[in-house]
Amino acid sequence: MCVGLPAKVTEMKDGMAVVDATGAKRTVTAELLDDLQPGDYVMIHAGAAIAKISGDDQDETDEIMEALQ
Amino acid sequence: MKAAEQAAEIIRNYDGKKLRIMEVCGTHTHEIFRQGIRKMLPGNIQLISGPGCPVCVTPVGYIDEAVYLALEKGCTITTFGDLVRVPGSEKSLASARAEGAKVKPVYSPLDALEYAENHPEEQVVFLSVGFETTTPPSLMAVRQAKKEGLQNFSILTANKTMDNAYLALKDSADAFLYPGHVSTITGTKIYYDLMKEGISGVVTGFTGPELLTALAVIVKKSQEGKPFFMNCYPRVVTDEGSPSARKLAAEMTDPIDSEWRGIGIIPKSGIQLKEEYADYDARKKYDVPEMQGHANPACRCGSVLKGEITPQECRVFGKGCTPEHPIGACMVSGEGACAAFYKYGRDF
Amino acid sequence: MEKTVTLAQGAGGKQTSELIEQIFAKYFNNPYLTADDAAVLPVPQGKMAMTTDGFIVSPSEFPGGNIGKLAVCGTVNDLSCMGARPLYLTCSFVLEEGFPMDKVDRAAEAMAKTAKEAGVHIVAGDTKVAGKGQVDGMFITTTGVGEITEGVKTGGALARPGDAVIVTGDVGRHGCAILLSRNEFQIEADVKSDCAPLWGTVKAVLDTVKDKTGSYKDLHVVRDATRGGVGTVLYEIAGQSSVGIHLQQDQVPVDPAVSGVCGMLGLEPLYLANEGRLVIFTPKENADAVLETLHGLPYSGNAAVIGEVTEENPGKVVMHTPIGGETLLPQPGGELLPRIC
Repeated sequence: MCVGLPAKVTEMKDGMAVVDATGAKRTVTAELLDDLQPGDYVMIHAGAAIAKISGDDQDETDEIMEALQ
Repeated sequence: MKAAEQAAEIIRNYDGKKLRIMEVCGTHTHEIFRQGIRKMLPGNIQLISGPGCPVCVTPVGYIDEAVYLALEKGCTITTFGDLVRVPGSEKSLASARAEGAKVKPVYSPLDALEYAENHPEEQVVFLSVGFETTTPPSLMAVRQAKKEGLQNFSILTANKTMDNAYLALKDSADAFLYPGHVSTITGTKIYYDLMKEGISGVVTGFTGPELLTALAVIVKKSQEGKPFFMNCYPRVVTDEGSPSARKLAAEMTDPIDSEWRGIGIIPKSGIQLKEEYADYDARKKYDVPEMQGHANPACRCGSVLKGEITPQECRVFGKGCTPEHPIGACMVSGEGACAAFYKYGRDF
Repeated sequence: MEKTVTLAQGAGGKQTSELIEQIFAKYFNNPYLTADDAAVLPVPQGKMAMTTDGFIVSPSEFPGGNIGKLAVCGTVNDLSCMGARPLYLTCSFVLEEGFPMDKVDRAAEAMAKTAKEAGVHIVAGDTKVAGKGQVDGMFITTTGVGEITEGVKTGGALARPGDAVIVTGDVGRHGCAILLSRNEFQIEADVKSDCAPLWGTVKAVLDTVKDKTGSYKDLHVVRDATRGGVGTVLYEIAGQSSVGIHLQQDQVPVDPAVSGVCGMLGLEPLYLANEGRLVIFTPKENADAVLETLHGLPYSGNAAVIGEVTEENPGKVVMHTPIGGETLLPQPGGELLPRIC
C-alpha cells in the first residue's frame, strides 16, 4: 500500500526536510512530524516524511523474538 | 539475522491446523515474494493477498473519469505511475496518451502542484488515490493551491480509509498482517478495537526480518486460542500515530461511502473535499458526469481482492491478462496481487 | 563558425567543409581519415567482426559522459565481447538545425578521446543536418570493425552448469544517471554513468583465462549489459543456454545512491541500463583469477561474483535472499514507471 523508504534528514527549512537515502536526495514535507532535526531518520512516502525511525530492524526484531519465547 | 532465523524456525515447525493469514497491504505482498518468504512456509500456512492496493480497489469508472478529463477537457493528468496502464471501460490513460492526452507520472502530489505552478497555461489534475498514508500530501497540495489562489490545479479523489474495511474482511482469514505505513498515520487503536471484535493481527514492517518475525508472532499467538494484536513495527509505528495527519484530513475532508472493487460499498471508507475546497475538486470544477464504469466480464479482480480466489485461479491469469495486456487493475498495479504472482511465478 | 547548427552546414558546400575541418577533422586526426570518398585500410589478419549501433540518448550530455563517448563505447564494446580487437570506426551524424555547436564540439572531442583510449581509429564519417524538429538534437551512428583473437569463441548459448556469473562492476549506473539528468522526479544524487570502453578489460580477462588454462575455451560468455541492464542479459543467457542462473541478492554490487534512487521510484537496479559493464560466465575455478585481474583495471574495481549457473530452473534467474529465502528475479519487460503505493 505504501512503499516507504528510510532516509536521513540533512537539513530543515520552512517545514520542509531535505532527506538523503544513501546518497539520493529529495526535499519532502516535514509537516506531519514535530521536532525534526538534521540527523534524524524518517520514513518517506509520496513526498512526505510520515514517521521517525527510532532504530534498525535488527534490534527491533531481536526484542520481539525475545519477548515471544 | 538471529531473529530472522528464530522466526523462520518457528514458522517451518508449525504443525497446527490450517492457518490463513491475510497480507492486507500490496507492498507486503510484493515484499514477501521478493524476500522469498512464500517458499519458506509449510503447507498448513496459507498467505492470502488482500485489498490493500489502492489502484486495484478503485472502480473502473475512475479511470473513465480521468480519461474524460484528459481527452474531453484537455487537462494535464498528473498521476502515480501505477495508474497509467490500468484499463478503463474503453481505454487506459496510456491509450489516451497515444491519442494526444497529456499524462505525466509524478512521485508526489506536491510535485504535481509545482508542475501546475510552473505551467499556468495547463489545467492540471492530480489523480488522488491511496490510503491514509498517501492522503496527507494530496491534501497539502490542495491547501497550498488554495493559499496561492491557483486556478489551474485540482485533484480527482478516490482516497480510501482502512478502518471500516477490516470488518468486511473478517471472515477471509484467521489473522492479518496490518499495513505498516498506514499505521503510522492511524496509530494502533483500531487494531485493539478489532481484537475486541475477535479479529487478530500484527502491524508489520517491510524488511525480511520484520516480515518473518511478524509471521512467527502470528504462528505462536494463534495457538493460544484467543484474539491477539501486537505491534511488530515499533521502530516506526507508535500507538498514537500522526494526530496532525488525522487533523488535516478532518479539517479538509468529509468521510463518504465508497465503492471497493470486488467488495462493494463500505460505509465512510472514502473521502470528499469539503465545500470550501470545491474549486480544487476536479469533479466539481469540470462538472464530470457520473460514470458507471464496466470491467471486462472476464475480470475477476474483485474475487482476488477479497482473497476468495488466488490469482492463478482466475481463468484469464497469464492467458488473456498479462502485465503487457492487463484486463484488470490487479495485474498492472505495482501493488497488485496478480502482478506479484505473475512476476514471481507459480513456484515462488 | 556559427554558434548553432545551420541547414547550410548540411548542404555539402563551404559551410559543410568548415564544420568538418573545425570540429570533426580537428579531433579525429589520424592517417586513415582523409578527404577521399572512402578510407583505404589494411585488412585484419584473422576473422573480422563488424557491428553497428545508433545513439539517440536524451539529454545528450550527462554526468560521466555525452552521446559522443557513448557512441564510441557502445560499438567498441560490442566488438570486444566477440573477442575482437577494435580497429576502425565510422561515424555518421545527423544534427538538428539550431543545436548548440559547443555540444557538437564536446561530443566530437569525447569521441576522439575515447577512441584513442580504446586504440581504435575513426576512419570515415558523414554529417547531415535536418530541419528543426525533424531530429532531436544530435543522433550518431557508429559502425565498427575488429579483428577476432584466434581461439576465442564466446556466445550466449555457451553457459554451462558450474559457471560463475561475474559482473565487472556496480549495476544500473548509466540508466540512473540519465533518469536523474532528466530531472522529472526532483531527486538529486551524485551518480555518474558507467559508460566506458572495455576492450582493455576483455583482453586482460582473455589473457588471464589463457594463462590459467592454456586456451580461451573456458571463457564461455562475455556480454556487455546495455539498455535492459544486467538482468536482461542474465535472462538472455539463461534462455539461450537452457540453464538456470542462481544469484546471491546481496552479492550484486549496487552504488548506494543508485539504490536510494531505485528505492524512491520502485525500480530494480538489475534492470537499469549500463554502458560499461560486462557479464562474464566462466567455470567457477577461474573466478578468483578473473576477479583479481578485473580489480586491477580502471573500469572493474568492484567486480564481483554474483551467482552461478545451475541445471535446475532452466531459463530462470533465481535469487537467494539475505534471510535465506529463494525468489525469482522477475522477467524483464514493461515501461519505466515509478511505483508508489
